Amino acid sequence: MSTQIRLPFYLAWQYIRRGRKWTFFLTIFMMSVAFINLIFISSLFAGIIDGTNKQIINTMTGNFYITPNDGQDYIKGKDRALDLIATVDGVTGESARTQVPARMSYKNIRGSWQILAINPEDERLVSNVADKMTSGVFLEPGDDDQIIIGRQIAGGENVEENAFSFKGAKVGEKVTLTFEGFAKEFTIKGIFATKFVEADSRAFITNSALTKLLPTTTDFATTIAIKTDKSASADTLTKISALGIEGKVYSWQEAAGLMKLVAESFKSINALVTIVGILIAAVTIFIIIYVDIVNKRKQIGILRAIGIKSYIIIFSYVILAAVYAVAGVILGTVLFFVAIVPYFQAHPFVLPICDAVLVLSKLDYIARAEAIMWVSVISGLIPAALTTRTKILDAILGR
Amino acid sequence: MIASIIQADKVSKTYHTGGAEIRALSDISLVILPGDFIMITGRNGSGKSTLLHQLALLDFPDSGEVIINNQKTTELSEQLRMDFRLSSLGYIFQEYALIAELTAIENVMLPAMMLESSEKAKKKAAQLLDKVGLTNKHNRLPSELSGGEQQKVAIARALVNSPRIIFADEPTANLDTIAAKEVLNIFKTLNEKDGITIVMVTHEPEELEYASRLIHLSDGRIK
Repeated sequence: MSTQIRLPFYLAWQYIRRGRKWTFFLTIFMMSVAFINLIFISSLFAGIIDGTNKQIINTMTGNFYITPNDGQDYIKGKDRALDLIATVDGVTGESARTQVPARMSYKNIRGSWQILAINPEDERLVSNVADKMTSGVFLEPGDDDQIIIGRQIAGGENVEENAFSFKGAKVGEKVTLTFEGFAKEFTIKGIFATKFVEADSRAFITNSALTKLLPTTTDFATTIAIKTDKSASADTLTKISALGIEGKVYSWQEAAGLMKLVAESFKSINALVTIVGILIAAVTIFIIIYVDIVNKRKQIGILRAIGIKSYIIIFSYVILAAVYAVAGVILGTVLFFVAIVPYFQAHPFVLPICDAVLVLSKLDYIARAEAIMWVSVISGLIPAALTTRTKILDAILGR
Repeated sequence: MIASIIQADKVSKTYHTGGAEIRALSDISLVILPGDFIMITGRNGSGKSTLLHQLALLDFPDSGEVIINNQKTTELSEQLRMDFRLSSLGYIFQEYALIAELTAIENVMLPAMMLESSEKAKKKAAQLLDKVGLTNKHNRLPSELSGGEQQKVAIARALVNSPRIIFADEPTANLDTIAAKEVLNIFKTLNEKDGITIVMVTHEPEELEYASRLIHLSDGRIK
């Protein structure tokens, strides 16, 4: 009996060892292509979602976000709050942003964009706006008469919201902030473009500029964005909440707004595409293995004629199909991570909201590799089982 | 009275091809005794191979019964028929029917591995290959052997589980005269020295002298 248990492995090994090498490697290559097809689209969507999430974190919210308590317009005790937040493990930066209560005008164009007062040094630690200047430079602490504006405010050709912008404002030109009862002229020091429309529809001045105009806002903030590193744990939010700051602490996911819905939509599309991908991979693999086994119909008939039990024959082909699958997944993994992922890291997909690279989570990888395995095993099982159920003579004589 | 080893009782078989009915066997009844060397002859399409397939349990008759050791084989499950083929019958195909990916010794030991350890099966296979004259060709693949050598491997494979009966379907049809004679001499030795019953299909008149009994088929009937 123990010999009978070993027999399927023995047969499968001999098929691999002595079968046509070209056919064997071609089958494995096709399996690897099916696997890459399955992980590529999924990785692309995951990359877009990941890129979008990073955009939200890096340009808008940070990893955590504090807003005023219900019924309040500001977070009081801004400086104390920043000092306390800095003591929390994993926090790498914190920036208080104060909504500037002003309308902005350029030449004869006037509008209400979000204007935030910031400490430029703090902001550099939380957002990447300073790295996204397309012309001019980022603010410095003493810039009391200067402003930086987003691409959607500056406007110009090819700008998504050009109709509602300054239609081509440039660095060095003047804009006017009109407050209740007075106005102040600022020079555009820089224009930034993060590729995130919501982020690029903002303007920044320094805290010191706002304080000079509205001294009462000195220790107030509208929001505080907090950046953490990988050492931040799941209870970081709890720790920040426990600091006694007069505000409500949210994770970036809760503050993501519209982009959260966009990311959710991508996830849904990804799930659908994955299902379609699995079906395509299943059909492809089934055809590959089915053709391989149907070509061995005569051999299966001979094995049955000499007394080899059907379950041994079926199991030997299931093992063969599993070997194809494992080898295909390994080859596909190597090709994907050694060639495809580095290529797209060097040449990302340029999308309106972010530059996406391929991202594949361990869980997604395992799930897709498992799908390939199961599909292959079933693809080996069905034709082998069907062939062992046909008449021996029909199998041998090809009737 | 000697008990039969195989008995066919009114065995009939009809094939349906393209809407036409071809009656391959009509009420064939025969008795094969232990130690017989039977040759089934007849023209092409006379039903020789069809009869052999029924006797070797590779096919089911439409009616009638094949009785082996007093056991009605139509009552046996496919599993029991397979067990019976494995342990008691040896079958040799005209086209050798070797597994292309296995060497000579691996082809021979394969049926034995169903019943005993691979070490014992290998030892037995080596002895049988030596017996049929393939001493130095144990590790050759079928593609590296001549037609006669491949047929000898097929004979060794049919013998590996020490069957009481060997069925051979035109085993010399694809061989040259010398190779054919070698194969027939092996059958003769197996029959005379080892007492194995041989049932062989042939249409070569010069081979009939090896048989102890002849069965001539014409249009699916024994003449």
